Amino acid sequence: MTIWWLLLILGFLGSSGIAFIWLAVRLNKVAVGKKGKGLSGSTEQAAIEDVEHIFNEEFREELRNRGRLHFEKIIGENAMFLQQDLRLTTSQLNEYMKTEVTKTLKEEFSKYEQSISDAKQMAIDSIQKTNQAIVEQREMLSKQVEQEVFDAKRLLIGHFQDNMADIINHYVLAAVGDQIDLSDQLEYILGELEANKQEIIEDIKNGA
Amino acid sequence: MVHEKEDTALVLPPGVVGSVEVGRLIRELEEVDENLLQLKLRKSGSSIKMPKTSRMMEQIQTENELNLLHETDRKRLSKFLSEVKANSPICHISFSEEPSQKFLEQLTVWFRKEIHPSLLLTIGLQPNIGAGCILRSTNKYFNFSLQQEFVKQRDLLVNKMMPPGFELKAPAVEKQS
Repeated sequence: MTIWWLLLILGFLGSSGIAFIWLAVRLNKVAVGKKGKGLSGSTEQAAIEDVEHIFNEEFREELRNRGRLHFEKIIGENAMFLQQDLRLTTSQLNEYMKTEVTKTLKEEFSKYEQSISDAKQMAIDSIQKTNQAIVEQREMLSKQVEQEVFDAKRLLIGHFQDNMADIINHYVLAAVGDQIDLSDQLEYILGELEANKQEIIEDIKNGA
Repeated sequence: MVHEKEDTALVLPPGVVGSVEVGRLIRELEEVDENLLQLKLRKSGSSIKMPKTSRMMEQIQTENELNLLHETDRKRLSKFLSEVKANSPICHISFSEEPSQKFLEQLTVWFRKEIHPSLLLTIGLQPNIGAGCILRSTNKYFNFSLQQEFVKQRDLLVNKMMPPGFELKAPAVEKQS
């Protein structure tokens, strides 16, 4: 918007200058045209003479000087206005540029800060996720270790319980095996056979 | 099966425990039979040496009131022993140590009285059973050993050996959704 204002002011100043130049050229042409044309008749001649008498060379020179001075004054005033406008425009332009640069820099800095903030947030999120994953992994590992320890305990105890009869039998035999006489076991053996007698008979009867 | 009518009186003595002894008796009886046949074929006056009968043979003669000089008794005994060897049920019984003959006879008496009159026993040795015995009949397996007794009393042993209040706790498992 401001650049358009600048162009408009420059256009206005340019057109003003062109208008002055055109006016000066026009006046000059009028002066030359009047000089070239001859008046017909005596009245005209008399008028011309009166005019020439009134507007003699000195008066013309005076008018010319006045016109020149006036023109110079106008030119000077316009040049001053133009200079003022130019200064104002330059000042505004500087201000505008300063504002624009500041604004652009602020925007860039804002974007940069936003980028840094986003990157920071991403890094924080990533670290949090990693922490969460580590915690979960640790919990899972802990549970797995607990389960494995439990399984090992259960296996050992189960193995011990399963083989307890063999273990005790082994120790009993090692301790008192030599003192166990087979004859002393006859009553026990016959008792066990008596208890399973029917089963043995049926097996022998039905056996192949 | 043992012939019902002819062989009802014949019984195996307790000293004849298994098929090894029955085979030995059969061979001994064949030897006696052979010697008596030779004696019959030889001329009078020639000497012949009679085989010495074993204790088992004497037992079976005594218990069954047999006279081996009679051919009918010999044939009867031979037939009986052959049928026993071929058809009698056999049980395999294992002990932790070698049983005495007296022990085996007592065991055989019980088997022939309670299970089958002509049952034969095969004796095995399993030192790891500790005490008692392991019986294997035609299709079944009976473990009457001390080891098996410990296995039966496993819960009692476990309760006695584990410290009071001992309980193996499983780790808590979260339910997965």
